[in-house]
Amino acid sequence: MGLVRIDDLTFSYPDARVPSLSNVSLRIEPGEVVAVLGPSGSGKSTLLRALAGLVPHFHGGRFEGRVEVDGRDTRRTGPAELAGRVASLFQDPEDQVVFGRVAAEVAFGLENVGTRPEQIWPRVHGALAEAGIGHLAERRTETLSAGELQRVCLASVLALEPALLLLDEPTSQLDPHGAEALLDLAVELDGAVVVSEQRPSMPLERCDRVLFLEAGRIVLDAPRGPALEWLSANRPGYLPGEAATLGDREVDGEELCRLDDVAYSYLEEPVLRGVSLAARRGEVVALTGPNGIGKTTLAKIAAGLLTTHHGTVERRGRACYLSQDPGRYLVTDRVEDEVALGVGGDLGKARRALDEVGLAGLERRHPRDLSSGERERLALASVLVTDPDILILDEPTRGVDPPRKAELAELIRRGASHRATIVVTHDLVFAGEVADRGVELGARELAHA
Amino acid sequence: MSPVPAAAVLASLAVLALAAERTWIVAAIAAGLLVACLRAPRTRRFVYLAGTLVSSLFVFVLSPFVSTEGSHVIWEGPRVPVLGLLDVTSEELATGGTQALRLAAVGLAFAAYVLLLDLDRLLHAAGFARRSVLAVGLATRLVPTLERDAAGFVEALRGRGVEVNGVRGRARLLSPLVAGSLERSLNLAEAMEARGFGRPGRTRAPSPAWSGLDRIAIAMAVLIVLAAIWA
Repeated sequence: MGLVRIDDLTFSYPDARVPSLSNVSLRIEPGEVVAVLGPSGSGKSTLLRALAGLVPHFHGGRFEGRVEVDGRDTRRTGPAELAGRVASLFQDPEDQVVFGRVAAEVAFGLENVGTRPEQIWPRVHGALAEAGIGHLAERRTETLSAGELQRVCLASVLALEPALLLLDEPTSQLDPHGAEALLDLAVELDGAVVVSEQRPSMPLERCDRVLFLEAGRIVLDAPRGPALEWLSANRPGYLPGEAATLGDREVDGEELCRLDDVAYSYLEEPVLRGVSLAARRGEVVALTGPNGIGKTTLAKIAAGLLTTHHGTVERRGRACYLSQDPGRYLVTDRVEDEVALGVGGDLGKARRALDEVGLAGLERRHPRDLSSGERERLALASVLVTDPDILILDEPTRGVDPPRKAELAELIRRGASHRATIVVTHDLVFAGEVADRGVELGARELAHA
Repeated sequence: MSPVPAAAVLASLAVLALAAERTWIVAAIAAGLLVACLRAPRTRRFVYLAGTLVSSLFVFVLSPFVSTEGSHVIWEGPRVPVLGLLDVTSEELATGGTQALRLAAVGLAFAAYVLLLDLDRLLHAAGFARRSVLAVGLATRLVPTLERDAAGFVEALRGRGVEVNGVRGRARLLSPLVAGSLERSLNLAEAMEARGFGRPGRTRAPSPAWSGLDRIAIAMAVLIVLAAIWA
């Protein structure tokens, strides 16, 4: 008998007009690695939550059909009872961390599931070592980078040695190397792994089987080989793209932003030293580099949000900055008011910007009622509406599905001719599509960027 | 020192500060705790120290106007309905100073508890009421989280050319901050449930055994409380 058995599952969240999952049937065998792909709002996260028992126990809603995990019916077995056999890693590590110290955080799950006390610390330290962060055991969680924190969360689930590991966009905050390392660790687990991702190339390289969801229905359930053929014929945007070598295209426009020999430190820790960067009108510059190297800091200095400790910054015209956290664009009670904030309340401009990012029809909704993908687009509209001379986008593709990513690239290129655009990104395929040239921040390149 | 004996010492000092009649004892406790708090990182300690200072000053300034004590008048003000004659005597100032020091000592004991103790180890050591202790631990982390969220909102607004100025500008952020913290709590509750929180049969990771220093600290805490009661 399989590890997971789903029969004809249909689920709607409370107050939802359409079901998030419709007539889903599925089997997963022990040890299988399953990649779950599909556009934003297609039901990927809901499927993972159903496997963890969080749907319907935590979220409520209308649940029809049957989900059995490890021989237990999830209608009768809640998520806390499934914990240990099933473990989940969610998208945002900030929302998962309970304790202030890394070792205590990893021990939390083991204590909850009743692990024998003498086994807890050895398993904690074993999982931390496996995740490559044994040296962080005594660190405070609030002092860790997003990448380190996501590894702590991974160690927390690895320590449980689950039969079924559920990964819901676990790499969205990680650079390509960090993301690959995290997925490699996860798929080495003896149990089955179900991974939902918006950057499909990495799970597609590692999975045995692919599920493709659309509007809550499984439209593809096939082994990797046939699935790649199906994707090639039907959804080519989801196929692994080749990360283009970032070029050095010359643009003749006026120089709108210039940073020379800048340095910045948080408390006593230097983040940037001797960095230079320039952007011209009509040019799109991709700023890439590993987690924690100072890309966001440099972007904020360019936007005038941080004052450099050394060096010079020159800007001609108005600069606008898109934060990588879309949760920062939820200040007002209506979507159109949120966008209008940047243009002195001009609702006409706000509606046009919303239309441009595909949010037409949602103008009067509360921003917090939007899905995570829609929130990303709201944040983008809130910045684009200001029509700045210098546009700085910090990780604009986080949580954005491949078709939307292509639209975003087109949107950025469309407005590029009359402004200077700097895009901070880990997504090298996207960077190749959108940028005229790339600047890679790294220890070696710091002085020459 | 383990967090439980350290917490016991801090609590006993707070009790002594509340019960002591001599101002120099209260002042000495407040000064000692202030020195301890200064060991915490500057960015973390600022909120707690500023909060303690402001509330203590408030008590010191207000106290002479609401009490009637002593005959050495330093300043005589107008007669105010309900409150009567507003005057300040040196005795009232001395009493206000002592009360302000008491409040400062208690506030600093709490600040030292939050800033210097390892709350995780404290939680692990708690053999009972673990849910309540966990709730206190999470609530303690709420302040820095809200601080970070507020800074994030301000930065995102400035990033689109909207400056946040004055009380009114900052007040506009209150509602999204509260909504954001509720959303975060819901996400955290979901993650905790997925990790088995609330399941029967929970075990506890072994805590390190108490050292000689820990035992001395506990004995000292007991002695301080006894001294506060009987002295």
